[in-house]
Amino acid sequence: MNIPHFTLQDFMPVLPTGVLVVGAIVLLLSEVFLSTAQRTYQAVIGTLTAVVAGVVAFSNAFEPGRAVLQGYVVLDPFSSWMTVTVCLGTALAVLLSAGFLKHRNAERGEFYALVLFAASGMSLLAMSAEFITLFINLEVLSVATYALTSFLRRGPRPAEAGFKYFILGAFSASLLLYGAALLYGATGSTRLADVGAALPTAFVQQPGLVFAGFGLVLVGFAFKVAAVPFHMWTPDVYEGAPTPVTALMSAGVKAAAVVAMVRVFLFLVKGLSPEVPFVVFSALAFLTMVGGNLMALPQRNVKRMLAYSSIAHAGYLLLGVAALFAPSAAKGSDPVGVLTATPLLGAVPNVAAGVYKGILFYLLGYTVTAIGAFGTIAAIERREDETRSNTWDLERFAGLAQRKPGWALAMAMFMLSLGGVPPTVGFLGKLYLFGAAVDAGLLGLAVVGILASVAGVYYYLRVVVYMYMRPAPVDAPAPVRHWTTELALVVSAVGVVALGIVPGPVTEWFSRLGMVFGG
Amino acid sequence: MNSIYDSRILNLVIFSPLLVAALVMFLPKTEKGQIRAVTLGGMLLNLLTCLWAWSRFEPKSPVEFQLEYRLSWIDDIGLSYHVGVDGLAVALVLLTGILGPLVVLSSWTFVDERVKEFHLALLVLQTAMLGAVCAVDTLLFYVFFEAMLIPMYLLIGVWGSEERQMAAMKFFLYTLVGSVLMLVALLSVYFLAAPAGLRSFDYSTLYNGLMAANRELAQYVKANPAGDGAGLSPAALALFRFGPYLFLAFALAFAIKVPMFPLHTWLPDAHVQAPVAGSMVLAGVMLKMGTYGFWRFAIPLFPVAARQFQLLLAALAVVGIVYGAFMCLAQRDIKKLIAYSSVSHLGYCMLGMVALTAEGATGSAYQMLNHGVSTGALFLLFGFLYERRHARLMSDYGGIARVMPVFTAFFVIVTFSSVAVPGTNGFVGEFLVLLGTFKSNLPTWLAVVATTAVILGAAYMLWMVQKVFFGQLTHQENLGLKDLGRREVLAAAPFLLLIVVMGLRPQPFLDVLNQSTQRYVARAQYASGETVADDAKVRVYVRSLPKEAVADARPAAPAPAPVPQPAALPARPMRLIPAQPQLQPATP
Repeated sequence: MNIPHFTLQDFMPVLPTGVLVVGAIVLLLSEVFLSTAQRTYQAVIGTLTAVVAGVVAFSNAFEPGRAVLQGYVVLDPFSSWMTVTVCLGTALAVLLSAGFLKHRNAERGEFYALVLFAASGMSLLAMSAEFITLFINLEVLSVATYALTSFLRRGPRPAEAGFKYFILGAFSASLLLYGAALLYGATGSTRLADVGAALPTAFVQQPGLVFAGFGLVLVGFAFKVAAVPFHMWTPDVYEGAPTPVTALMSAGVKAAAVVAMVRVFLFLVKGLSPEVPFVVFSALAFLTMVGGNLMALPQRNVKRMLAYSSIAHAGYLLLGVAALFAPSAAKGSDPVGVLTATPLLGAVPNVAAGVYKGILFYLLGYTVTAIGAFGTIAAIERREDETRSNTWDLERFAGLAQRKPGWALAMAMFMLSLGGVPPTVGFLGKLYLFGAAVDAGLLGLAVVGILASVAGVYYYLRVVVYMYMRPAPVDAPAPVRHWTTELALVVSAVGVVALGIVPGPVTEWFSRLGMVFGG
Repeated sequence: MNSIYDSRILNLVIFSPLLVAALVMFLPKTEKGQIRAVTLGGMLLNLLTCLWAWSRFEPKSPVEFQLEYRLSWIDDIGLSYHVGVDGLAVALVLLTGILGPLVVLSSWTFVDERVKEFHLALLVLQTAMLGAVCAVDTLLFYVFFEAMLIPMYLLIGVWGSEERQMAAMKFFLYTLVGSVLMLVALLSVYFLAAPAGLRSFDYSTLYNGLMAANRELAQYVKANPAGDGAGLSPAALALFRFGPYLFLAFALAFAIKVPMFPLHTWLPDAHVQAPVAGSMVLAGVMLKMGTYGFWRFAIPLFPVAARQFQLLLAALAVVGIVYGAFMCLAQRDIKKLIAYSSVSHLGYCMLGMVALTAEGATGSAYQMLNHGVSTGALFLLFGFLYERRHARLMSDYGGIARVMPVFTAFFVIVTFSSVAVPGTNGFVGEFLVLLGTFKSNLPTWLAVVATTAVILGAAYMLWMVQKVFFGQLTHQENLGLKDLGRREVLAAAPFLLLIVVMGLRPQPFLDVLNQSTQRYVARAQYASGETVADDAKVRVYVRSLPKEAVADARPAAPAPAPVPQPAALPARPMRLIPAQPQLQPATP
């Protein structure tokens, strides 16, 4: 057996993950040795760990893309920025959790450890360039989030959500594994680069096997990013999970899955004609954008509405992914359709750089916005109401502007950003993604996306209307304040506005060359 | 002539109210008098800056956007902080600046609750309105346009009359639908006007980018009116396919704001429920944003589509004129009457604009200013009456002239302006609009129908004046009404002055508007496919971003092919950087 010789230098690229894991272990041990009554220090440790990991990932982000650890993992700016975003999201989610758990007497080191383990899975998932590595990281991430979903064991809702998530998550992971196995059968390798290189011949010999493998891998990812029609689990799980965990899932888990999906298919399409992924991703983007927004429209439950809205946002990301695979031979005189490309001004430029920038910026923007939005929900929801059906009803937001002007202002900014209203980060992210899609000729889809997000403005603004224009109920309870929660809200709100007005160096970082290794 | 201050004036104009708002923020809530005084001072200061801008504006200069200031902002989407004024914009700036202190004076005693918030809203609103008028970058325009919505919503919803919540909601929803549509259309134009990498939200990029395509399309449509677009270049083809929809989106967005006939229903409610200050600002400036949007965006960017819908728009404008007048005849509520007269007057604005003739456009621009003055004055004066009596129905008054002679004199003069009696400002605007409509390619009967509303206008206004001011004093309560105080005379007198000056001596104002209207007409006529050598006339010339001057220092950068510039354009040194070329936006 050939045992490779690794030096410490070889492990530097995965150092962020290492930091996260060490932090998680420290937290687990702290539960044994430091079982004090006050446990806010655990949240502080968790936040600091995530911040340190983020800083390490940030320093990695300017290195040229390369394959490391024998090609099982790639280090490129795309994955490093993704890790930075994940760490930011994790830090904010941990801060949100502190007050939330304290209010429920559920503050435990395990919770933060699980969050950090999930984050380590996410950061490695974004780097994986091999199917087994990818699968293991997916499982690390998933198992941690299954446990987090049902962390508050009391009451039927967490259990139901956790079980649902587990069954469907395991199902989708096994589909992914099955697809990977089929591709391995067709090509004889699990490394993405080798699979992509061997696919052209395999495609000629066994087209059925390749298509089946391709399809199963796609479905596996579609479950993870919650693309319509594979989204069924999302609203229930998002609603049932503790709200800070929902924030983490909507931002981090989805972001990591999108990035991994982009990487896998960038390698796989080398052997296929890009027509197939283009049509598939276009269809998924169409269904997800339209479906997510339409289903969010009638929701009066704000948490559920945000769950559907996170589906819609996955749709906008898929629009960007579809733009990556747009056929370059399209002409301006072609008819405009949802699954066809019609370049607006004739030729199709190379949009890959624009798409990467769009995806990264969108993910960053969505992370701060969604965590802020879920964070506000977490801040105003009360433990006593958890068994009632109207815990997250719009009515709970009525008159928030009078009761808590700061929170209402922050929530209004998050809603405007989710709706894509300038000058917020949500607008810029959408502009980058839609711009790339239009350049790639996806006129029909872009129009659908814009119309869908216009519909979205309705349900986002409804929250603002309730906060500012409805009188507060007389018996409205005073929300519980906690400094970590408010810190997280302030950071997200500042992020939403600052990134929207002065994206400054961030967009420049995201648009450097060599973003994706081998892309 | 250029001074280093010229490029900074507009920043002062836009942000001085905001600075004062920051000052007001630190005043204690209970010091109502202090808050009012500081706000009034701030508004006067703002008026001074507006006057300064007006005086520095050179009407004869061939430069379109004067007093320009441009700062790079988000480069990779082509967003810059870019402000500048053309003739119409500087006139609107002056109008807004004049209204500012008068609005504060009008509410001196009327608003006594939440005084601090009220004045903060006024100041923020002032900044947003001035910003929207001055913005040359369209996204900047959009942000200011949106920002107007919030303080106005608060003015109606918090300090309005009984039904204020409903009215504020209606106002909010209508305007929001309009602005979302506008954003969508704006983004489409952004994508359409330039290829990837050269895109910019700057007005010059949007307009110049569409010029070639518009020209090609215009000639094509003229040659084969029923063509399916085969053989057009990609940009022209895209414009052929999507232009009408984009035009309609812009038109709808601005028609809500104007408001044009079937979309006007929010206006009477908003005006009736709003406090005096809200009504004045709404009628005086905010409605102009709709007509200004047509003038700046909808029609020049899509001249071909605008031609296709010209008759429809003109017909709607005429319906609005006549319908508004008839609605006025039927009103018993005075505020509602003034609101419907707004619908009628703005119909004239729109009619003159879509007539696409020089007279019509001039009249339309002049009418925008007139309406701000005369309707603003009507709301102000009625506000004084309402403050004394808290009644809006005509039947609550009668014979007031006996107890309030000065007030009556003021009101009658303003009424004359609203009715467009010769010698007042209203006459100049309406006359030019109707003249332009008769001269245009629009059917003559439209102009004839619009003319009848002049008579209707006189009927409803004079009827109202007769019922309210003359005859017997029928109500005991009205016996004790006090005539205008010194503050109130001070607030109303500038309006009277403007009415007379703009009516008897319109030339200085028309001079300022002249270049702007000529450009507007040339741009709107660009689609006729007849005139050929007018490219230099319609093209938008603006300053390039400062960083491009830095790029000049680099050795031998591949320079873009020089586009011939009209010799008349003087070099305009930008701030600290020596003379630099005008931005020649990327047109293939």
